[in-house]
Amino acid sequence: MNILSFSGFIPEQICDTVRFIRHPGQRSIAHYCGYAADFISRVLDDDSIDGCVFPRTCDSTRVLESYLAGSGKFVHRLHVPARRDGLAVAYLAERIKGYQKAVEAHYGVTLDNVPQRGELVNERNAAVARLYGALPELSFGAYIDMLHAMLQRPLAEQTVPDTLPASAGGKPVYLVGSTMCSAGLASAIEEAGMNIVGDRLTESKRLFSAPPVSAKGDIYENIAASMLHNRTSPTQNDFDSILQEDLAEIKSKGVLGVIFVTQKYCEPYDYLYSVYKKALDKLSVPALRLTLTDSTDGRRFDAAIETFADIL
Amino acid sequence: MGQSSIQLQAKLMREYYRDFSKYAKGKLPARKTAWVTAFTPVEILEALDIQYIYPESYAAVIAASGQEQTVLEESERQELCRDCCSYACCIEGTLALEAGPRGLPPRPDVLIATNNQCNTLPNWWNILAERYGVPLIVLDYPGEAAEREMAYEYVIAQHRDLIEKMEALSGNKLDMDRLAQLIENSRASVAAWRRVTDLLAERDIEPTLLFDGISFLITHRCKPETAALYEVMEEEFSQTPPADESKPRLFWLGYPLWYHEKRYMPELLGECRISGSNYITWWSLDYDGDTPMEQLFSAYNYTFLNLKQETKDARLSEDIRRSGAVGAVTLHNKSCKCDFVSARNIPIPQAELEIDMIDRTFLDEGRARRQMEALLESICAG
Ligand code: SF4
Ligand code: SF4
Repeated sequence: MNILSFSGFIPEQICDTVRFIRHPGQRSIAHYCGYAADFISRVLDDDSIDGCVFPRTCDSTRVLESYLAGSGKFVHRLHVPARRDGLAVAYLAERIKGYQKAVEAHYGVTLDNVPQRGELVNERNAAVARLYGALPELSFGAYIDMLHAMLQRPLAEQTVPDTLPASAGGKPVYLVGSTMCSAGLASAIEEAGMNIVGDRLTESKRLFSAPPVSAKGDIYENIAASMLHNRTSPTQNDFDSILQEDLAEIKSKGVLGVIFVTQKYCEPYDYLYSVYKKALDKLSVPALRLTLTDSTDGRRFDAAIETFADIL
Repeated sequence: MGQSSIQLQAKLMREYYRDFSKYAKGKLPARKTAWVTAFTPVEILEALDIQYIYPESYAAVIAASGQEQTVLEESERQELCRDCCSYACCIEGTLALEAGPRGLPPRPDVLIATNNQCNTLPNWWNILAERYGVPLIVLDYPGEAAEREMAYEYVIAQHRDLIEKMEALSGNKLDMDRLAQLIENSRASVAAWRRVTDLLAERDIEPTLLFDGISFLITHRCKPETAALYEVMEEEFSQTPPADESKPRLFWLGYPLWYHEKRYMPELLGECRISGSNYITWWSLDYDGDTPMEQLFSAYNYTFLNLKQETKDARLSEDIRRSGAVGAVTLHNKSCKCDFVSARNIPIPQAELEIDMIDRTFLDEGRARRQMEALLESICAG
């Protein structure tokens, strides 16, 4: 069983999946983000992958199923609610059960260790949170590489080191975006004399900010509540809380600038940027926007990053 | 003698936009006002006497008035990326400039967004919520992705929650009989509109009339005037001569081009004619069910863009078959991603044109012309 999962919206408590980070796919779908197109390519091209699971959270993920349904592999779309209230929690709990049943039926397995996996996720997230807390002193490039490698491994084998190589210091900046798929971009930012002291990335802040899942009561409702009450993605339609949380962290960490890393044709972040930028302007915090063409866009944006570092 | 459909449409438009110029000068609406997306269960709002406004429709009007470039540029200055849906960019620019061709929409008391057509709309509504500082309600419709029973419970609970919030906003209590009547009106509008659209394949009808005519099924679907208007249209269209059968039939797969005087590009179609379009079927909602709550669930959970690919394929194939089209003009609409992908398995030759329904600069006319020529050649050769 080797299921490729699309994003942080796939509950790790159910079964092991391989988190998609990047893939050099040649597919291009008019006006869709390259990240989603590369996910499709990997599912179709990579024989080691025998299934995939993804949410429906933006217009790009909305169409994944129509490209993957005929792949002959396990294909599951998890409907993550567009709201976060009690109604949504109860509904998502049912969807998670449906996901588990679909995996069990397709692979002929019984997934009976959900509470234990929940505990492992809680512990791992707490360890990542500790590292994040130490970020001003640690290299963000090393931190993000560690997270990406970790998310490729089965949950039981995911280990989080106590520390990482030290940061070279520099002007404190904050990173916003979905998955930081671009290899080397974090290093480019650090080499330009900036120190990434915080973020709202799917694989970092949004991962470990999910409240711990209790094994008491209905485990599925607990997982659903945790999934919906971490730091949100703009796809969850609560820009207000994103602004409040991020601006508080930006102020408390003395951040001098914000770097927005998004995919071309990623509307959720495009919309978020328009209000985020205005909020930053009010605080006189400059923003740099870097737009990636797809998941393997390896450009270092050296000129733009250096200019931004100079402005700071 | 009764009024013509053009007169009836002009009257409805006048009423809808009547106070926009006053709103632009700061007038506040007399009734509580919601800004809604095109597939919102507006029957609930109408029953509670809440005024509802469609920003998407106003964006189309702005493009039709030729003012879209000014507002799109302003929207970019407001940091909204031009890759986003042009409806959103158009409205963002208009609100920032505080001026539009008919004035401005009334200030909202609440924003209601649905995801039964795309996920863009709830995102766009977030930036409106930041602008106006008013509550945002997102209605989450699973569509065919969830089993009917589960989807039903989830959607009904959200509709009940919406009713409660709208009762509190309006100070009115929902009268179920009134809601049932409004749903009946919507059904009558849909039924009459279906009869109108059926005539496109066989009669010599300018597609522009349908691209413009459907806007009332969006903005006024639960009002009795809409069915009345469509009955007049049906009568008028029935009296037009039969279509010229020597002209090959084409299916228009995508949005009308709001900036274009004709809403499509007759100049590129050669001797062909448009005999069908998916856009004009989108608001033909099925209000199936025994109770008003069931009917609203069926209508708004199973909108076309919320269906599974195979259901969309089947519906689209049937629409194309009924239109008798031998080729399709398929629009890769920069704004509307879901629309294009939903049409990816169509069974006839097609020209895939890169366009935007609002931003006229998006079209490479030379390229589109060559693509259309290739399509026409393949149809003729076939
Ligand atoms: S990068 Fe943006 S558009 Fe692409 S899948 Fe993620 S949220 Fe959706
Ligand atoms: S044009 Fe498409 S993307 Fe834009 S609001 Fe309409 S359905 Fe959504």
